[in-house]
Amino acid sequence: MLKVSGLRRAYGPVTIVRDFDLEVRAGEAVALTGRNGSGKSTVLRCLVGADKADEGTVEVNGHPVLETSVQSRRDIATVIDDLDFFPDLSVVEHLDLLARAHGVPDADALVDEVLEEVQLVPQSGQLPGTLSSGQRRRLGLATAFVRPRDLLVMDEPEARLDVEGVAWLANRLRAEREQGLAIVFASHEPSLVDTVATRVVELGAPRQTEGARG
Amino acid sequence: MSEPDRTSEPGRTAEPTRAGEPDPIGPDGPGRSLPPAVTPKGARKKRKKEPKAASTSGPATPAAAESLSERPMLRTGQPLPRPAHPVRVTTVTAEECEPADHRELLGLMRDWRKGRATKKLGEVISDAYVVVFGVLLVGAMAVNVVLQAQTTVSQCATVACTSARLFLPWATVALVAGLALSMARLFGPVLASAAEGTWLMSAPVGRARLLRPRLVSALLIALLGGALVGILVTLLSGTAGREVAAWTIATGLSAAAVVAWAAAWQTAGRSGPARWSARLFALLGLAVLVLVVALAAGWTTFTLPGVARIEIAAAVAAGAVLLLVVCAVVAGRRLDRIERLRLTSGGSLVSGLSGAFYALDLGLIHDIVVERRAREKGHVRAMRGSGEAVRALVLREVQRALRSPAAVPTVLLTAVVPYAADALGLATVVPFLGALAVFVSLIPLTGGLRVLTRNSGLARTLPFTNGQIRRATVVVPAVVALVWAIASAPAFVGFGESAGSRPVLEAVQVTLLTAFAGLMGAVRWTTAKPVNWGAPMASTPAGAIPPGMITAPIRGIDMVLLITAPILLNLPLVVSFVIAAIVAVVLLGGFSSEGLQATREQQQKELERQRAARRR
Repeated sequence: MLKVSGLRRAYGPVTIVRDFDLEVRAGEAVALTGRNGSGKSTVLRCLVGADKADEGTVEVNGHPVLETSVQSRRDIATVIDDLDFFPDLSVVEHLDLLARAHGVPDADALVDEVLEEVQLVPQSGQLPGTLSSGQRRRLGLATAFVRPRDLLVMDEPEARLDVEGVAWLANRLRAEREQGLAIVFASHEPSLVDTVATRVVELGAPRQTEGARG
Repeated sequence: MSEPDRTSEPGRTAEPTRAGEPDPIGPDGPGRSLPPAVTPKGARKKRKKEPKAASTSGPATPAAAESLSERPMLRTGQPLPRPAHPVRVTTVTAEECEPADHRELLGLMRDWRKGRATKKLGEVISDAYVVVFGVLLVGAMAVNVVLQAQTTVSQCATVACTSARLFLPWATVALVAGLALSMARLFGPVLASAAEGTWLMSAPVGRARLLRPRLVSALLIALLGGALVGILVTLLSGTAGREVAAWTIATGLSAAAVVAWAAAWQTAGRSGPARWSARLFALLGLAVLVLVVALAAGWTTFTLPGVARIEIAAAVAAGAVLLLVVCAVVAGRRLDRIERLRLTSGGSLVSGLSGAFYALDLGLIHDIVVERRAREKGHVRAMRGSGEAVRALVLREVQRALRSPAAVPTVLLTAVVPYAADALGLATVVPFLGALAVFVSLIPLTGGLRVLTRNSGLARTLPFTNGQIRRATVVVPAVVALVWAIASAPAFVGFGESAGSRPVLEAVQVTLLTAFAGLMGAVRWTTAKPVNWGAPMASTPAGAIPPGMITAPIRGIDMVLLITAPILLNLPLVVSFVIAAIVAVVLLGGFSSEGLQATREQQQKELERQRAARRR
C-alpha cells in the first residue's frame, strides 16, 4: 500500500529525518511516536506530498505521491493541521461537498452517519469560524470518513479531543484498520497507540550536521 | 480482534538522542512502549531531599497526607506530583483597596514606557524630516495634478460635463457616508486593542473616560477622510470656487455624522441600523450615478443655478452637524455600556489588518474581513448539495453565491460604470474602467477559489486536479461576468452624444474582452501567493524588500491592463484575444511552477533508480 524509501528532510543545517524507510500493507496501522520536533509531522507531510523530501521516494499503490496528482488525492485521506474551511459553508455542507466530489453513493446517508458519529449534529448548520477547536478537529476527522480511502494519514488526531472523543477515535481507527485500511499516524496518546497501532516507530531527535554548529 | 504485534520498524535508522537529555524511549527498549508522561520516581526522590521546614506546613505531613489512591490522577494513571514548597496564600479585601482612576492608569503606563525608546532623538528628527519632505513632495505633485485636471475639466461645457458637475458631489456624499458606515460597523467604530481589553477594560475604572478619546479619533478620521474624498471629486469634476469648499465640508461632516450614528448604535449593542443605513446610502449614491448617466445620455434634463448648489451643500452640512452632535452626545454618554468583546474585536481586526497591510497582502486583508463576517453570521440554514464529482463543486459554488445575496447584484450594478464613463466623455478608456469594475466587484464571488488555493489542505481532500478545481470555482463568476457584458454592451456601442461610435460586432467583442479581463483580474488577485519573506531580498533605494512585494498591490490590475491595453492603443482586437487566451491557460490551467518542479524531480529520481538497476 505505502512504500517509503530513503526519506531525508532537512531544514537548513538541521536534519529532521534521515534514511527513513517504511512499508505499510493494507490492514496495518503504524504509529509514529517521539518527542516534539522529532520529525513525526515532517514525515507525515512528506507522505501526503504536502512537504517535499530532500531525498527518497514515497509510493502509494505503486504510484509516486504527488500532491497535485488526482490519484494521490483519491487514495490518501489526510488529517493534518493544514486543513482549511470555507468560511461561509456550514459543517454539514463541507462533508456533503466532499462526499459528492468523491462520488460516494448515497452521500446524504453517509454524511449523516459520520456527523452523528463525530457528535456534530447540533453544529451541522454552524459556520466553521464559530466552532470550538475541538469541534474543528472533529470536523477535520470527519472529512477522512466521508470519502473513499486506501491510506489514512493523521497527525496527532487526538489533539484537542476530550477523553470520550479519544476513546471514540481509537475504536473507529481500529475498526478501519480491521476492514483493511492502511493507517499511518503520529500520536502522543498511549491509549490511541495501544488500541490502533500494529507497529510503533519511535523517531529520535533532529541532528545538526557536522560543521554547522555555531 | 488480534492483539497488535508491536515491533520497532526494521528499516528505520533511529537518530540518537542528544547527550544529557532523558531517553524518550523508556526502559523497555525502542519501539516497545511509549514513555510515561511524568516521572514519578524522580519526583519522589526530589521530595525526599526537601528541607524539613518545607514539609512542616505543607500537605506532606503524615496527618495531612492522603493515600496515593486518594490523590488526583493523571490520564496515564500516575498520581500528580506534590508541590515542592508549601503554598502560601495572601488575601486582600475590597475595603482595603482604593482603585486608581483612568488618568493614574494611563500615567503609570506612560511612565513605564519612558526611557524605552528604540530610537535616538537624532534618528527621530531625521525620520520625521524624511516623512515631512516625502509628504510635501508627493502632496505638491498630487495637488498640481488635481488643479490642472480641474482647470481642464472646468472648461468642458457639454451636457455630460455639466451633469457630472451637478450630481457627482451628491453621489460622493452618499457613497462616502455608506463607506464610512461600513467601516464604522466593521471596526466598532469605538475600539480597543486586545491588550487594552485585558488590562485596562477589566480594571475597576470608568470605561467611558478611557474610550472617549477613541470616539473623538474615529469622528476626526471620518471627518478628514470624507473631506479629502469630497475635495478630490469636486475638483476633478470641474467644480470651482465656493462650491468646492461647500461640498468638501458637507462630505466630511456627513462621514463624521454617520460614524457618530454608528457609535450611538454600538453603545446600544445593536449593529442592524448601521448596516441598513449603509446599504441605503450606497443605493442612494448609485441612483445619483444613474441620474448622471441619464442626463448625459439626454434621457432627461435638469439644471440648477450655482447658488442653489451651494445652498444644497450647506443644507447637507447643517443636517450632518445636527446628526453629529446628537449622536456624539448619545454615544459619549453610553460609552460605559459597550461590551469588552465588541471593543476588542474591532481592535483585533485593526491589528490583523495592519499586519496584512504592511505586508501589502490584500488577499489576507480580504480573508480577515470575510472570516469575521462569517463568525458574526455564525449559523446558516444548511442545504444539501447535488451532483457528483466536479459538478458537485460547481453547484456548491452556486449555493455559496446565493448565500451572499448582495454579491451578484453588486457586479451587475457596476454595469453602470461603462455608461457613466461614456457619458462623461471617457469613451476611450471605457474598456479599462469597465474591466476594473468587474475585477473589483467579482472578488466576493471568488471566495471558493481563494479557499481552495491559499493552501493545499482542502484541495488535497478533493479528487480533482488543481486545474479542474480552478475551472469549477470560476464557473459562477464567469457566468456573472457574461451577464455583466450583456448588460453593458450598449455602452460600448456608444449612446447619447457618442451613439454609434463603434460598430456593433466590434463593440460586442470589446464588451466580452472587457468582462473577461475583469474576470482574469479577479482570478489573478484571488490566487496570488502572499509575499515570501523567506526569499532573498531585493536591494532597492528604499531598503531590502522581498521581490513579490513590489508587484503585490497591482496583482489583478496587471491582467486587466494586459488584456485591455491593445484596445486602448487601437491595435487589432485579435491581439487582445490572443493575450486573453494565454492568460486563461496560465491562470485556469492550474499551472504551478512548484508542481512542475515536483514532477520533474520525481521523474529524475525514477530515471536514476532505473540507471542504478541497470548497473546492477
